[in-house]
Amino acid sequence: METAALIVVLVIALALFFDFTNGFHDTANAMATPIATGALRPKVAVLLAAVLNLVGAFLSTEVSKTISHGIIREDQITPVDFIPIIFAGLIGAITWNMLTWLLGLPSSSSHALFGGLIGATIVGASILAINFGEVLSKVVLPAVIAPFTAGVIAFLATRFAYLLTRRYDNKPDGRDGFRWGQIFTSSLVALAHGTNDAQKTMGVITLTLIMAGWQSADHADPYPWVIVACAFTIALGTYMGGWRIIRTLGRGLTDVKPAQGFSAESSTAATILASSAFGFALSTTQVASGSVIGSGLGRRGSKVRWNTVGRIAVGWILTLPAAGAVGAVAALVVVWFGQWGILIDSVLALAVILGLFWRSRRAVVDASNAMSDVADSGHAVKVKRNPPPTRRQRRILREQARLRAEDEARRKADAKAKAKAMARRDAQERAREDALARAARNGRGGAK
Amino acid sequence: MIEIDWIAFLEVFVAALAAALLVVGFYAIALRLLVRAGRAPVVAPAEFTDAITVITPKEARKAEKAAAKAARKSPLTEGQKRLALLGAYVSFGLCGLAVVGGIILIIIGR
Repeated sequence: METAALIVVLVIALALFFDFTNGFHDTANAMATPIATGALRPKVAVLLAAVLNLVGAFLSTEVSKTISHGIIREDQITPVDFIPIIFAGLIGAITWNMLTWLLGLPSSSSHALFGGLIGATIVGASILAINFGEVLSKVVLPAVIAPFTAGVIAFLATRFAYLLTRRYDNKPDGRDGFRWGQIFTSSLVALAHGTNDAQKTMGVITLTLIMAGWQSADHADPYPWVIVACAFTIALGTYMGGWRIIRTLGRGLTDVKPAQGFSAESSTAATILASSAFGFALSTTQVASGSVIGSGLGRRGSKVRWNTVGRIAVGWILTLPAAGAVGAVAALVVVWFGQWGILIDSVLALAVILGLFWRSRRAVVDASNAMSDVADSGHAVKVKRNPPPTRRQRRILREQARLRAEDEARRKADAKAKAKAMARRDAQERAREDALARAARNGRGGAK
Repeated sequence: MIEIDWIAFLEVFVAALAAALLVVGFYAIALRLLVRAGRAPVVAPAEFTDAITVITPKEARKAEKAAAKAARKSPLTEGQKRLALLGAYVSFGLCGLAVVGGIILIIIGR
């Protein structure tokens, strides 16, 4: 019993560590755009993101319920034996998360978590223990649909923002004011991140407590202490991870205008908050990336860089099976070696944590360890510096050209008429002079 | 048989689209009205960073001058300008209300 309690404590500690890395990894999702457009000072942005992640974690528990009461079939497993499997799944998630971070590969913390849990469950328990219907409808499909949804919404919102503020007389359009607005929308993204991501850890801890018999399976909501612990851990991770954004700023999102950033963030926040209310466990990284690409396409003259999009998409697709494979290996170690397996996995987890710490102490930031996947999405769309004119602008330009041509023609006609008149006057003058000269000659002849 | 609630996806899309367009729309209208009221916002960046979209202090000063010049040439009367300013504040307020309303809906839905 004492060993079981120790394993539960270990799982909770590991889940909270995952929560910390989630905050650490994903601060960029909320704050990369406002810092890139100069809307917020980096330190203020990071502090704001931490506080709002904390608040967001208290808003809803639907996603937590999806994890604790959805993806695992409790009738197909032995509850107490399942706790080490959750532990192995978390090892898979954390290892994959850190590995992709160290290698600079695009990834999603949420999918790493689901992949790790599913892989470990298949190997450690049975494939029948996975509720594939719930996994498909609450995890896989939202993962596929959400980036597109966010992209379409961001595209329309960007078009709308530009349409409403466009001026045709070259006077100030006030779009600079979107910079203020970004403080507001990036705060919303941080809030949404706390609402969706902190709940995933709450769900894992609640699932562990149910398996250990410390919480009734009928009681779906996480305990208040679980909510508080997860909220504070994700907030702390967000604050600690923020300093890296300051260094990765110039790398991506260099062409995001305030109006575009505002629309992208509104779309990200709206998609995540609406999904959280329905219990869809989304990847905030993917939603934010979809929004950045969609808002880029919303600007005139933009083109998709399919190579970049493809690279990001491959990273996303790989996350679930790859984290699943790592989770499966960790579960295999537990299955083969029993409690010694848990010890081996713990050592492995500690090595990963120390590796992360060692890496984060190094000041070098380059393409291999920059972690802003959202910033990468900024490169997925190429926007012309001088976009082509809108239909109305083309009409105005055509009208101006027509007026200029008419003016030119009138001027030419005037000049021609003036020249003609002058020529006529000259001819008349010459004729008069000739007449006078003739008259004078005739007069002199008469006098003689 | 796996059952998927497609309606829920549609609901998420419609709710998110409506929320994003409301927030962006009200905010953009508010900015437009601020410009009409002769108070075109020129917001210098909080801190000069590597990003190319960030304007320099010199560019900010130039933009402020252009905004002031445009405001002087505004064809609106003082009363109309005050009305536009009021409209701008109301739009900002509605934008905030849309967000607060959305969050309240999520909390109520718990």
